[in-house]
Parts: sequence; structure tokens; C-alpha cells
Amino acid sequence: MSNAAPSIIDPTAAPAPSRGRAPTPGRRPSTRVYWLYLLPGGIALTVVIIVPFAMNLWYSLHKWKGGLAPMRWIGFDNYVDLMSDDAFWRSFQNSLWMIVAMVIVPTLIGIVLAAVLFDVVGKNIGTRTASFLRAVYYLPQILPIAVAGIVWNWIFNAETGALNEILRSLGVTDPPNWLGVPGLALPAVMIVLVWIQIGYPTVIFMSALQRVDPELYEAAEIDGAGWYRRFRAITIPQIRPETFVITLTCTIAALKVFAPIYVLTRGGPEGSTLVPSYYTFLNFFDKSKIGYGAAVATVLTFVIIVVAVVIQSLQARAERREEEGR
Amino acid sequence: MTTATTGATGAAARPDTPRVVGRTRDRHHRGAWRWVILALCIVFAIGMIAPFLLMVMNAFKSPASYSSGGPLQLPTELYTEGLVKFWNATNFPVKLWNSIWTSALAALFGVLLSLLTAFAIGVGRIRGRMWIVLVFLLANMLPQEVLLYPLYTMAQQVGLNNSGWAIVIIFAVIQCAFGTYLLASVLGTFPKALLEAAALDGATTWRILWQVVYPIVRPTLSVLLIFFFIWTWNEFFIPLVMLTTPDSQTVPIALASLQGDRMLDVPTLNAGALLSLLPTLVFFLIFQRTLTRGVTAGAVK
Amino acid sequence: MRIRSALSAVAVGALAVTMAACGSGNGGSTGDGGGSDASGGADGELSCGEITFWHYEGDDSAMNQSWLVAIDEWEAAIGGTVKVEKQTFEQLQKNAKIVLTGDDVPDVMEYNKGNGTAGQLASQGLLTELDDYAADYGWDSVLPSSIQTTARYDEDGLMGSGPWFGVPTYGEYVTVYYNEEMFADNGIEVPTTFAELEAALDAFVAAGITPLAEAGAEYPMGQLWYQLVLHHADRDFVDAFQLFDGDVDFTSGPLKEGTDTLQGWIDKGYINPNASGLTAEDMGVAFIAGKYPVMVSGSWWFGRLNAEISDFTLGQMIFPENSLNAGSSGNLLVIPTNAKEKDCAASFIDTALAQGAQNKLAELGGLPVAGDASVITDENVKVLTQNWDAIVADDGLAFYPDWPVAGFYDQVVSFGQSLLNGSKTPDQALDTLGTFYQEGRADITGE
Repeated sequence: MSNAAPSIIDPTAAPAPSRGRAPTPGRRPSTRVYWLYLLPGGIALTVVIIVPFAMNLWYSLHKWKGGLAPMRWIGFDNYVDLMSDDAFWRSFQNSLWMIVAMVIVPTLIGIVLAAVLFDVVGKNIGTRTASFLRAVYYLPQILPIAVAGIVWNWIFNAETGALNEILRSLGVTDPPNWLGVPGLALPAVMIVLVWIQIGYPTVIFMSALQRVDPELYEAAEIDGAGWYRRFRAITIPQIRPETFVITLTCTIAALKVFAPIYVLTRGGPEGSTLVPSYYTFLNFFDKSKIGYGAAVATVLTFVIIVVAVVIQSLQARAERREEEGR
Repeated sequence: MTTATTGATGAAARPDTPRVVGRTRDRHHRGAWRWVILALCIVFAIGMIAPFLLMVMNAFKSPASYSSGGPLQLPTELYTEGLVKFWNATNFPVKLWNSIWTSALAALFGVLLSLLTAFAIGVGRIRGRMWIVLVFLLANMLPQEVLLYPLYTMAQQVGLNNSGWAIVIIFAVIQCAFGTYLLASVLGTFPKALLEAAALDGATTWRILWQVVYPIVRPTLSVLLIFFFIWTWNEFFIPLVMLTTPDSQTVPIALASLQGDRMLDVPTLNAGALLSLLPTLVFFLIFQRTLTRGVTAGAVK
Repeated sequence: MRIRSALSAVAVGALAVTMAACGSGNGGSTGDGGGSDASGGADGELSCGEITFWHYEGDDSAMNQSWLVAIDEWEAAIGGTVKVEKQTFEQLQKNAKIVLTGDDVPDVMEYNKGNGTAGQLASQGLLTELDDYAADYGWDSVLPSSIQTTARYDEDGLMGSGPWFGVPTYGEYVTVYYNEEMFADNGIEVPTTFAELEAALDAFVAAGITPLAEAGAEYPMGQLWYQLVLHHADRDFVDAFQLFDGDVDFTSGPLKEGTDTLQGWIDKGYINPNASGLTAEDMGVAFIAGKYPVMVSGSWWFGRLNAEISDFTLGQMIFPENSLNAGSSGNLLVIPTNAKEKDCAASFIDTALAQGAQNKLAELGGLPVAGDASVITDENVKVLTQNWDAIVADDGLAFYPDWPVAGFYDQVVSFGQSLLNGSKTPDQALDTLGTFYQEGRADITGE
């Protein structure tokens, strides 16, 4: 099974083994039949996602308190107000930090971990050990986020937290006030996000490495390339498709991040960890500004779409270059 | 929601059957190195599970000793009152059953929908498939807050509010958006020879789907199934708003209800956390095996 | 208000409580309370089947215990049944606005009082107007007037005027809890005046003890600030700040003076700077563990403190020399607009205000809204209730700092954190707070 990462440009682009198109005998059934298979998914998607999204757009053009309150048409006023809303801008600024914590750092760590587990531990010590370690790294991913919040609150608690207890025992007299000071709360949240995310790229990269033809490494080794050079010249290019998939899915998750903020800081201290999703939520439920919240959510959605399209086209370009380079 | 996906795009040849060309025992590696690296990996692993250990430690500590010693002190006795209290306070069996059936059905329908749609896109190669995949992908990207209000209103109109079925339907679709994106790419690489052979035999598309395609992508489907199950299980936001009465609520909501109560008692909370973690843990262990076995059982070389 | 007043039960033993009779239902409801079309007669003629009751109080809480009494009495008197469906606070807070638009609604439910909560529901047309019931059952004469403020909301969802939308059955207020042993051990007198309080706090600091248990990540810090603002304020200020009856100045007067006092307290080391990241739970646990001599917080802590404190004697006092204190009625019992059994629900609410239920509240330290503290035997419960009665009698309830405008809670929390962290001067912090307040206020009133 080839492993081309899906590409929007042509999701079905198979790195076809035989590029010379033989005239196909016995034509496949006409593609029209296949539309029937699209029906259930298409209908479900329309009802559960497309229609609600359209309704949300509609809300965002109104001033509305929710409930049975009257909806007042105000056109694009909500969007105009957003532009001059500091909290809104700050939330998107924090999104960049979320991308650092959920995409960049875990991906880098994940590549190294996967390579070490696969190459060193897996080959020299045993695949069982490697799978066990992989399982441990993946564990935070399955933890209900509410629980993660509780546990990390104990760790970061300035007075009674595990982290500061350890620091005090090391002789730090005045350990940091992790979740109480704006300059520290964001890094603290980022640490938690890295912890949650690490397992995901590690698992994917490990399965990717298993695809790589061992003969490539063999050959390189015979040429006298060291581990690091092999890693740079073979491993990294070979797992590029997975890197794109991870970058795409994690970037989107980072833009949508809500629960970790909700359980750790509620956007505080002093609004320093506010993110767009949580800001939407605040408007919906605390301020009863449904229209405004819907506008924030809509902007967030468009940002996500743009980011996704950019990442996808970069990937398509990379793939095309690779095709030509062959 | 934490995104976690599988390497289903191509997870992988079996790690435990090194298809390595005979000479794995490479002459270059220096024996001591690997132990150093293993030690580092283990230290890192301990760091990763430390928070879990903390949780287990505090689940079996009495509230009194928690108040006096804080979360870091080792428990002096095995206090199981917390478990019992959580079990009774939340009527846990009911919550557990709700979680199980909604997660299982959502996962099942989600995988089924993904398969049908991806079949049309990847094998059927219908026109405009690129746009269809794009729409599905974007559907999976929408922030949930966007959907919440409208979905509730709609559920109310068809009488599905406060019903597990609403959860099943919503998450089956949200997950299927992701599953379609992934499966379509897998099926896009489906060996044409097999399809053509089947078509020559005059097989209908329905038969091709179930007798040719399905056996080959089954491992991928099982990985998807497990992911969907875990994701639905851990969902919090939409179930919180949708499920209004205790007899319809799921485990994470029960946990939150304990927290929302002023009378938060840490051991009870931890016991609850442990209990709600167990089912997903079991599932995860199954998943480990699937992943280790490799998802390329049917891969065509 | 995010305040969860979940008082835990206090094992108070049997008490011979004979409460002053508080007008139990003296007549039927004849009105169509805000659109109910059924018109019941007097209690006796009311025929009820099953009514559904949603609330989110803990099983052991005084409120729940008192409502259980009300349920028994009501079922015996009317012949209907009450089906209790336990909710969670988190959940109702988020989904009430959505759920109540549907048909699957309870006949009576508990909901948080205040502009941002019950006021929102009322202004969105989700709650039944209760004026006729209030008149028929005499609730307007049973409840002290300062308690009635939170029962009424105008069309903008502002409390204090307009029709009745909810009925409180208990009360709550912010008080000073202290650790008697810590005062005695350090040879410090328990203060009776504000000056003595500051002197006592200074003495603790001099002894190397941080005196105040605080939490800056949640409501407590904001309530301490408000207590200090009220120290410099009068009723006119409260009317202006909470009910929009007059202008509020964020650059001088009570807000400025109270904020400066708080800044002084922070500078003098009364509060641990780490408090900016701590939750109310952290604060309470630390106080119970005997780490701090003083905790300024709500009566909702009382049950737990009384039950869990074992190493020292718990002392309580009204914040010294404050004629106004943060506090209000407790949560309301409301009847959703789409409820089917409104008359029955109203008669149930009346039963919750009747003697049996109110006695139970008093007994458990739940602060009945119509009662007599002199009959309580548990010393701590007695002090708590007498202080409450004194404040109500003086018309000294000033509500909570985050009530006036929607979304203010987060602002007040941030405000407290920025003072604790020293990231803003008092004037800058007040300016930010004032801007948000004025915008929110214009949004509600001046559209």
C-alpha cells in the first residue's frame, strides 16, 4: 500500500506504479452508480454540519441575546466591532503560541522519538520495548481533558503544587506563580499541550518509518554514512507526507483549542491565555451575545479554511516537485 | 478536542517482523550507546506518566489525609470510599452504559459512512471528488461552538434533544468527515488490477465494495473505529448541552457534575477520573495491538 | 453569579426550632401568572399530577434538605408528586437559555439570581411572571424588601424593578471567618473595628504569617475588593453601581478608595502574591488546614468549615464597620415560560417558603429568608444566622461585584489579578474595569 498523504488537489493521486496507461479492458462500472454511495454521507453532512454552519452565519448578522429574545438585523456590524476588539486580536495572537505548542514542538520531538524508538530501541533492544514506550507516550491523548485539567492544576499550583514542591526541595525560595502571572500562564498551558500532543506524531512517524525501504539505509551505511546523516538524508524526506498530515491536522486542532484552556485557566490570568474558541464560548454563555460570538466563530472558521488550503497547496507543490525529480 | 489520528494513511509493515535484509546486526553500533538512549527514553516516559501516577495516588487517599498532606504525600491507607462514593453519587452504571452505547454506535456509523463515501471518491473516482473531499475535510475542521446552537434547535424540532441518539448522529457525522478524508486517500491508491478483475467477473459495485475493498481496508477501519470510539467517549461540550437529565448523561459529564459541586472532594474526583479513564484505556490497549500488528495486512506489494 | 451556594449539611443534632410562622400559602392562585391559562383555586382545590423540579444543590446541602421537606409537605397537602431531576450547575449555566426554549422543560427549577443569570432568562422571555402568585400567596410581604430585589427584573433583565420572576428561599452573604487559635497563639486581639482589623493583620505580618487566605483565579479576590469598596460606600452607590440608578465614578469615590485600600493591603503583605493563580477551593482547603488566620468569603463555605475544621475553633464576624456587605438572596425558584403546571409549581414554591422547609434551613445553617435565629442551638449556626438577620434588618445587602453587567465576572477576576501581580496601577486597573462596565451598562439600558 503506498502511502501518499492525501492531497486535496487530487486525493486519489496514486503514485501509480505503471504510469503508461494501458487501455483498460472490461471497463469499470460507470461512475454514476457511485453517486449512490455518496448519498448517505452527503445527506448526513448537510444536515449536521452545513446547515448549522449556515445558521451560524445567519446569527452572526444579528444582535441577539439567544433564547426567545428578538433577533435584530445589523448586517456586518458584529464583524466591524471585532476589528477594534482587543480581546479578539489577543486571542488570535495566542493561537500562534498554540500552534507552537501543538504543532511545531511535538512534531520535532515526535520525529526524534520515533526515529530513536524505531532505529535504536526497536532494532537493538526489541520491538516490544519500542511499542511499550510508544504506548506510554501516547497515553495523554486518551485522557479525558477534564481530568488532565485537574491533574495539571495540582502540578502547577503555586502553593501546593508538585512542581513548586520539587523546586522548593531543590532550594528555590520563591518558586514561580505558574498559573497566576500572565508571563508564565501561557508557557504553562503550552507545556500541558505539548504533553498531550507528543504521542500523536510519534505514533504516526513510527508507522511511517516502517514504510521506508530498509535497503536505502543499508546502502547508505555501506557508503559509510553515520546515523545522523542517514536520518537527514533518508528519514526526513521519506516521511514528508506524514509530516504534512500532522501539520495540517494539528494546526487546525491548535486553532480550535478549547478544552485545555477551559480546564486550566479559563483564559486568565488577566486574559493572557484567551483563545478564539474560548472567546466565542464566553460570548455565547457568559455575555449572552450570540450574534457576536457567532461572528468570532465564523472568522475562526475562515482562518482555519485559509490555513488548511495553504498547507495543502504547499504539500501539492512538494509532491509535484518530487514527481519531477524522479 | 485533541486531535489524534492514526497513521492509517499507511501504518505499516510489521515492526516485529523485521523484513530487514539479513544483516541487521550492523557492525557499527556501539553497544553502550543503545542503553544510554534506552535510559533516556525511559526517563522521558516516566515524565509522561507522572501526572497519571499522581492521579492514582490521590484516588485512594482519604479526604482528611489529602487536606493535611496535599497531593504529593504517599497514601498511608487504601481508601476506597472515593470510588464507592463516585459510583453511587453519579449512578455510574447508567452513565457507563450511556457512554458505551453512544460511543460504540457513533463509531460504527461513522466508519460505515466513511467507507461508503470514500468508496465513491477513491474507487468510484466520481467527478468533482476533489471538492467533495475538501468539503468533508472542512466539515471536520469547524469549531464545535459554531454547531452547538443550531444543532440543539434542530434536535429539539425532531424530538431528539436529551437523547443519546442525538450524540450518536452528530458524532458519527463529525468523525466521518475525518474518516472520509483519510480513507479516500487510502482507497485512491487501491490496486486497479483487483478492481478490473472483479469488474470483468461482472461484479456489481456493491459486491466489489464488500468482497474486494472491505477485506483489504479492514485493518484501517478497525483503527478508525477505535479512534472514533475514544473521541466520542471523551466528548464534553456538545453532550453537556444536549443531555439534560441524569438518566441520559455520559461519564465525562458525570465527572464534571462532581466538579461543579462546591463539595469537591479530591479522592472522589480522582476515583471518578480513574473510572472514566479505564474504558478508554482498555480500548487503547486493543488499539496498541492493532497498530503493532500493522495495518497493512492486506497491502499489495 | 458563579457563586455556588452549596452548603453542606451540618450535623446539628435535633433542634427544637419553632420558627416564627412565615406566611404560608394563604390563598389560592387565581391569576394567570404570566400567561398560564389554567386558573387554580385555593390550595385545597388545586389538583396536581406530577410536577418536575430541577435543581443543582448537593444532596447534603441545607437547601436540598429543606426542599425535601417542602416536597413531602406539598405532596401530602396537594396530592400531586414532585419528580426531582438533579442537574449540575455547570450544565444549567450553559444550556438553560437553549433548553428552556423547548417543550421539555421542568415546571419549577432553581436558577442563579442576578442580572447576568436569571435576569438574562427573564429578558429573553424564558421565565413566567409571578406577580399574581406573589400577591395571592403574599410573598411580597413574607420576604424582606432587600431580599426581593433579586426576585424582580425589568424588560432589560435588570434586577430590582419590574415583575417577579423568581422566588428566593434562602440567603447568603460575605463574612469574615477566623482561626481563633492563631489569634490567641500570637497574642492578637480579635478586632471589632476596621482600624483594629488592619492592626491585627499587621501584627500577623510582623509575626511572619500571611494573614488572609485568598484566591485570585476565581471570585474571592473580587469579593474582598468589593467589601473594601463598600467600606467607603453608602446605599446610593450600591443603587448606582448595581441598579444603574445614578452615575458611577471609577476615578474617585468608593471605587477608587476601596481599590487604594486593597492595593495598600497587598503592598503590606496581607495577601500571598501567589493567590493570583489559586482557586476558591485552594483557599478554603488552606484555611481549613490552619495555614491562614483569616478568610473573607461567603456563607456558602460555612457548612463545610463547620464540618471539616477540627484543629481549631472557627470564629465569625461581620466585616468590621461595614454597614453594607456583599450578599443577596440565594438562588431563585423560577417557573419556565413553557412549563405546563404553573399553578402547581407556584403552590410548591409557596410550600418551600412555609414553616417546615424554612425551619429545616435554619437548623442546618442555610439562612432562611423568613426566620428567627434565637431558637438555633448550634453556636456557630446561631452566629451565622444572627449576623445574617442583622444585615437584612439594616438593609445591608449590596449584592456582588460582578453582577451589574454581563461578562463582568471575568473582568473583576482579571482586575484582582492585575493588582496582585502589580501589572497595573490601581488607576489603570480601575480604568479598564470602568470602560467595560460603562459599555455593558449602555448595552443594557441605552440602546
